[in-house]
Amino acid sequence: MFKYVKHTNFPIDIRKKDLKMAKYLFSQFGGANGELAAALRYFSQKFNMPDDYGKALLNDIATEELGHCEMIATMVHQLTKDATVRELEEAGLGGYYTEHGKGTYPTDANGVPFTVTYFAVTGDPIADIMEDMAAEQKARAVYENLINLTDDEDVIRVLLFLRQREVVHFNRFQELYEYYKKKGYE
Amino acid sequence: MLFEDNNFDVNMSLFIPDLKFSRDSNILEPMEGFLRGNMFRNEYKPYKNLTYYKLNPKNEKEKMLYKIMALSFAINDLNLYLDLHPDNKETFDLFKKYIQDKKVLVKEYAKNYGPLTLDKTTGSKYNWIDSPWPWDGMGGSMYV
Repeated sequence: MFKYVKHTNFPIDIRKKDLKMAKYLFSQFGGANGELAAALRYFSQKFNMPDDYGKALLNDIATEELGHCEMIATMVHQLTKDATVRELEEAGLGGYYTEHGKGTYPTDANGVPFTVTYFAVTGDPIADIMEDMAAEQKARAVYENLINLTDDEDVIRVLLFLRQREVVHFNRFQELYEYYKKKGYE
Repeated sequence: MLFEDNNFDVNMSLFIPDLKFSRDSNILEPMEGFLRGNMFRNEYKPYKNLTYYKLNPKNEKEKMLYKIMALSFAINDLNLYLDLHPDNKETFDLFKKYIQDKKVLVKEYAKNYGPLTLDKTTGSKYNWIDSPWPWDGMGGSMYV
């Protein structure tokens, strides 16, 4: 069961319209290494974790990632809020506008819609957790690419927070991985 | 501005850690951990020379909200650690302390400014639907 809390995980208050950055940020909403993929990956994998450590950790990280989806969509929303159709077109979002208007649809930075083929559920804790570790590293790398694409502090501060969460999640998954290896899982 | 030392009044009573947690504890105070995105001193990995930024609440409402957000963050990060280390008493004690601290603030926030969770919608008016919703901008007020 989930309950909504009426604040973002970290404060987001973007003052400057930046449609190009909004376009790039979609990567972390509906992209292969994005937050929605992370949330659904851990949410789906948790059902087959072999003990309470794995069940708890995947459940709790999945929950946090859903909050991060909201953060990314919030950033996109704030960066595009006052945009005109012409401006969207000039920023390369003409195709996006055609399909989705000014709605917030989970795609990657190139407008490719989200798909669950971005992640796997194998039923094998070692294989799944190894994927989770890689996913955290890939998301960290994408956050660093995104930070390199902007000089807006309102955006950077949020990206730094989210990047750091990937670091922490990687460490937790690695601990779980090592524990399962020690327990004799392949 | 980027800054190394957080000067968001971390000395306010709520964020003074338990006495048994000395300043060199690996677990950071909630506001500092929150700004870093990481409650654990030894796990913190900044990107390039970028560390973290200061928050500047413009009024009492924002100030209280950030304290609640910082405590929620601290609880969440300790939660992930405790999932794998449930016998770590020091972390568990701190986790419980932050839950208590948050409970008090959340109740006061709901009374003064509106509910953050549906079950705090217990006043004379159904104000759960009231703006701002979290994805609405604050008009550029929260940062310097």
